[in-house]
Amino acid sequence: MRPLDPRLLRYASAARRFLLIGALLGFAQTLVVIAFAWLLTRAITLMVAGKPLREIVSTLAALAAVVVLRSVLIWLLEVSANRGAARVKSQLRARVMAKLAERGPDWVAARQSARLATVVTTGLDELDNYFARYLPQLLLTMIATPILIAAILWQDLASGLTVIIVIPLIPVFMILIGRATQSIQHKQWQALQRLSTGFLDVVGGLGTLKIYGRERRQFDRIRSITQEYRTRTMTVLRVSFLSGFVLELAASLSVALIAVSIGLRLVDGTLLLGVGLFVLLLAPEAFLPLRQVGAQFHAAADGLAAADELFAILDDDTVPAAPTADAAVIAGQAASARRAAGPTQQLGSGSGALRLAGVTVRRGDTVVIDQLDAEFAPGELSVLRGVSGVGKSTLVAALLGFVPVTGEITLGGAPVVAGATRPWLAWAGQRPGLFRGTVAENVALGAASAARGVRGRTVPDPRLVAQALDWAGASEVSPATVLGVNGDGLSGGQAQRVAAARAIYRTLATECHVVILDEPSSALDADAEAGLLAGLRQLADQGRVVIVVSHRPAVVSAADRVIELQERIHV
Amino acid sequence: MSDATTTTAAAHDVLRLAQPRPRWFVPGLLAGIGSALMAVALLACSAWLITRAAEMPSLAFLGLAVVGVRAFAIGRSAFRYLERLASHDAAFRQLAELRLGIFCRIVPVAPAGLANTGRGDLLTRLVRDVDDLQDLPLRVVQPLLVAGITALLGVIGIWLIVPAAGLIVLVCLLLAGLLGTVFSGRLAARADRELAPLRGALADEVLEIVENLDVLTAFDALSPRLAALARTDHRLRRASLRRSVGVGVQSAVVSLFAGAATLGALYFGIPELTGTGGLLSPQLLAPTLVVAVLVPMAVFEVFGMIPLAAVAWRQVQVSAGRVANVVPASPPAEIPADVVNPQMLFPADHAAIPVVLELSDLGARWPGQAQPGVAGVTLRLAPGDRVHLAGPSGAGKTTLAQTLVRFLDYTGSYRLNGVEARLLSQTDLRRVVGLCEQRPWLFDDSIRQNLLFARDTASDAELDAVLARVGLADWAARRGGLDARVGERGALVSGGQAQRIALARALLADFPVLIVDEPTANVDSAGADALVRDILTAAADAHRAVLLISHIPVPDELVTARVTLPART
Repeated sequence: MRPLDPRLLRYASAARRFLLIGALLGFAQTLVVIAFAWLLTRAITLMVAGKPLREIVSTLAALAAVVVLRSVLIWLLEVSANRGAARVKSQLRARVMAKLAERGPDWVAARQSARLATVVTTGLDELDNYFARYLPQLLLTMIATPILIAAILWQDLASGLTVIIVIPLIPVFMILIGRATQSIQHKQWQALQRLSTGFLDVVGGLGTLKIYGRERRQFDRIRSITQEYRTRTMTVLRVSFLSGFVLELAASLSVALIAVSIGLRLVDGTLLLGVGLFVLLLAPEAFLPLRQVGAQFHAAADGLAAADELFAILDDDTVPAAPTADAAVIAGQAASARRAAGPTQQLGSGSGALRLAGVTVRRGDTVVIDQLDAEFAPGELSVLRGVSGVGKSTLVAALLGFVPVTGEITLGGAPVVAGATRPWLAWAGQRPGLFRGTVAENVALGAASAARGVRGRTVPDPRLVAQALDWAGASEVSPATVLGVNGDGLSGGQAQRVAAARAIYRTLATECHVVILDEPSSALDADAEAGLLAGLRQLADQGRVVIVVSHRPAVVSAADRVIELQERIHV
Repeated sequence: MSDATTTTAAAHDVLRLAQPRPRWFVPGLLAGIGSALMAVALLACSAWLITRAAEMPSLAFLGLAVVGVRAFAIGRSAFRYLERLASHDAAFRQLAELRLGIFCRIVPVAPAGLANTGRGDLLTRLVRDVDDLQDLPLRVVQPLLVAGITALLGVIGIWLIVPAAGLIVLVCLLLAGLLGTVFSGRLAARADRELAPLRGALADEVLEIVENLDVLTAFDALSPRLAALARTDHRLRRASLRRSVGVGVQSAVVSLFAGAATLGALYFGIPELTGTGGLLSPQLLAPTLVVAVLVPMAVFEVFGMIPLAAVAWRQVQVSAGRVANVVPASPPAEIPADVVNPQMLFPADHAAIPVVLELSDLGARWPGQAQPGVAGVTLRLAPGDRVHLAGPSGAGKTTLAQTLVRFLDYTGSYRLNGVEARLLSQTDLRRVVGLCEQRPWLFDDSIRQNLLFARDTASDAELDAVLARVGLADWAARRGGLDARVGERGALVSGGQAQRIALARALLADFPVLIVDEPTANVDSAGADALVRDILTAAADAHRAVLLISHIPVPDELVTARVTLPART
């Protein structure tokens, strides 16, 4: 682990600001520590000299002021660390979300969306401890420790040299012990991994265990799993706690060495009591930040691990988001064609057949779709089918512009390759993908703004919403129904039909020409399926290109044309 | 008793399970106190050594102090190491007891009575909460006792030298403890109340955008969503910044009182030297007074653990509360308790006798629900029957399945060969009525182990045969046979394969009545029809009754009867 990831500074300007403020506060705090030790030494030497209280009172007053100042500085450092953390989290979050939007849905799907969402929210919160506890101490190590050593050297060369010799030993030992811990952990890793999830496995599978009458037999299993977990973890801990031991031992032994050496020189009369006490008070302070860094190491490591995941997302430039070379040329042509045609025509983006010629889609090194030629005629209900894994959904993603594609895709003779928008296409995916809000808001998602140019707010057209729901065979769903996260509040079949209604609404509201529904009836019973098919027939009758990916017999028999995707024979 | 008190009492029960027994706990505690006392003694001894040396006595007078300084320096670190080892060992020993204690409570209510743990992440949360309770001995009880006892001994030591200074230090400690824990606890709680809803809202919005990025992109709705997210983020940041003022208060307060204690000790210590004689000779008085002045600093350093322990205590309480919430101390009424004197209807070799299952006006309810999840079901299943149970979502199909294996209690009548199910022991009943769950749980083990627990006497040949029956022979062979692992939560197998393994398990157990609940719920639609066909073909047997719950159409030739549950309003 690097103590400070330079990427943090690159991606979050707030981190740079915090480091600057923190350094200033750390510097001030160091001066206060020295002042405290010096004033305390002075008060004690005056006391030992037998001076009455009234002669020492001014020193005590100064000491009191320093005590107050010290606690204010401690408070300020923590406050600024917390503020820095809040700002940095905000900045990083914004950057990652922008990155996700830029890389597109296919890239996100390849990376487990739930995991990504965790990284951006609770994962980032792990940075709190990194900022509040670790970074300030790291700053102090870099600022306070050298200044304190210089102060000790200035007062007493021998003590200063002791500290200078011991301090570098600490990181050396820490690294050596860290290596040893790692190699032990490496040996135990698989077993620990399995054991740490063992209890979860039993609890999670309890329903299944009860069905087979095995629940009572788990007591021994839990006991033995946990005991083994303890034995193995303790083996690791015995070594990893050594690093704490070395830290403490180095700090307290050097204080002891300094105290004894000062004591012996005081007896000789070669040193003054004031100098001795001052050095004795400062010596532990020189070690303190380093000890804190060691103690907060694990909290910091968690935070940095979270940040690492985030930086990996921000740094990831592997998959090209932009279409590949020849597709880019087509895209360029399409864009210029659209510019020439003017904005009004761009909305409908022509009519006529959707034609694919030599369309090829690769995922990594594998060719998923190879030189596909197909035509989807307007006014027809086309069904696309093929065995699982043949690339139906990939083809849909390609039409949406989510994956790079080569070859030619034309609509009514004009090339269409989706750039940032795809005004000619309405789509419903396998997953409903509904949002919090009313059914009407869900159905009218994005379409109102596209149609009327209303910025931000979606204004659903109630008549159109009702029609879309009706054509999706979901007329029983009230547009006013309020949905929770993930469309909570609807059954699976209802959610699927509302998603279909959303595509239908977009078609009707923006008069886009092509509708693609991916497995729209997988959760529907026969009646609901029939309702949806009737609605799709109406869309086709209006002269649109309607494409349904499905293998359902009812859908296939309703189709005007069935396009079978073949499994690729050559590998 | 109010709800809040019951919850607290339940949380306390959970906490009691987490605290190791004294035999395991005390060694770590003693080592901890030893280490803390030596840290204080190191400073005291060094200060005494230096001040005494300044009086230039003969070296012989310093010998003991020199030895003491070195011994305390080493002892402090060594005892600290021992403390950490002993206390962790104790916490891990107790973890086994804790897990068993929680498990004992879960067994009777699982799975239907575990409030809201249907979602996998909540279950993970529960298990993590249980493990987090280890922090009770490690980060709460141990530091509180160590810091408390050390501080007390320190105060007594100072009081013996300068009584007034002892009192001042005690007052400072109490004030620092009170303000540092109570006051900053309040601040933290208030900040949490304000920030938690904002954090939740932000997390929801992020998840919604990330999971539906395809939809938002396809519908040109991404930028307004990102703008809304930026607004939520802004509100959260503003609130965090407003709250940040309170966070550093705790360390500042401790530092302030540490300084005050040192000042107080000085203030009362100084006149001692100018006054006329006390118990100690003047040579010894000065070094002893310096000790009294400097020891408060060391005491406060040890005392710094207490505010941290207070933070840990709040977290442990939250975890305990969540565990207590999920795992009720007594099962809810909707979960059937086992009968005391069950009727014995089935001989050990149950496979030999045919079983007829009859339901009449059966109803059942989930815990915490006002309305029954299913009602008015009348159904008869005889050997050889293969019944397709359909019905819209929410009609109660899964509720019925959970009721038939007695995870939920029922109203009306449910008889097996004429005997009311309520009168049978649940274990006996589950030998006869089996269930393939909607999300079958695969254990993180080999395919063999995942099958064997259904019938541990089965030979490898039998296991291979049953895998062939459910259409997994080729798949298992490709994976490397019965020893292939299925991964954590079956991560290495697809939804359809998991269902097939679950069916293989049920076939091995040879239940006379088998219920299959929505086997295609996690299967892509292309594979769903094939899976339903394979399940019904493999489970068909003249001695077995099969009830298939499925929302997708089932071909006529595969079933003997169809039942449709009406939609519930």
